[in-house]
Amino acid sequence: MTIALLILHGLLAVALLGAITHQTISVWSPAQGKAESFVGRIRSVSAPSYVNAIIVLYLLTALLGGIIYPAYRLNVRIVLEQMQLFKQNGAFELKEHLVALGLGMLPAYWYFWRQPLVEENARNRAVITIILALIVWWGFLVGHVLNNIRGFE
Amino acid sequence: MTSRLPMFSIVFAAVYAVLYLLSVENNWALFTYHPAIDGFGLFVEKPKDGGPAMYWYGWIGTSAIGAAVIAAIASWIPAASINRLWSKLAWAVPLAAMCAFVYILRGYFTK
Repeated sequence: MTIALLILHGLLAVALLGAITHQTISVWSPAQGKAESFVGRIRSVSAPSYVNAIIVLYLLTALLGGIIYPAYRLNVRIVLEQMQLFKQNGAFELKEHLVALGLGMLPAYWYFWRQPLVEENARNRAVITIILALIVWWGFLVGHVLNNIRGFE
Repeated sequence: MTSRLPMFSIVFAAVYAVLYLLSVENNWALFTYHPAIDGFGLFVEKPKDGGPAMYWYGWIGTSAIGAAVIAAIASWIPAASINRLWSKLAWAVPLAAMCAFVYILRGYFTK
């Protein structure tokens, strides 16, 4: 059951990663003119259309992470400590705190992206989006590395 | 209600970040989870039956409830009083908290 939830957690994280990365790129490096290349199309996506999906995916991914966290705490963290893998252990500690802080930012994120977009909040939108993107990227990479940690032995 | 939304969301983000940092540092967990016995306890409890005690859920609970109460009170302040500086707190305070956690956890990365 835990493995099934872990896989689902990972799949939701992939979807979240894709959505927030598209949104962040389109906000910080919007396309100028008609987009024809692959990168150009990424830059020209409609950033506001991702907001609700990102919030739902963030909540679901965090919820599933919270459900499987006890299994990590009992079966993985103890092994990491025994193997003296301090950096990996610390990376996960940081992940749990960053994800928790991201949860608290979601109402403000939703407000800044609420339609119609307020021009005065353009900078706030851009900054809060990239902060959430950094949290999601950190969480994804750390989760991925820890999931595969035995492969590095 | 719509006019209270800006203040609520901005204050919630800022207060939640501060409360979460304080909760972790002072272990103000609203409840404790004991994964080995699949049991909960109110506020902070010591580990039971040789298993670990998990406070992360309790820290989030403390922060969310505290921030919701403070943000609800603050939302009665007229929306017009939210200027650009105030709205920046919604990301500046969490960002500062993130930096604080990097500093707090630096020991893991320097061993």
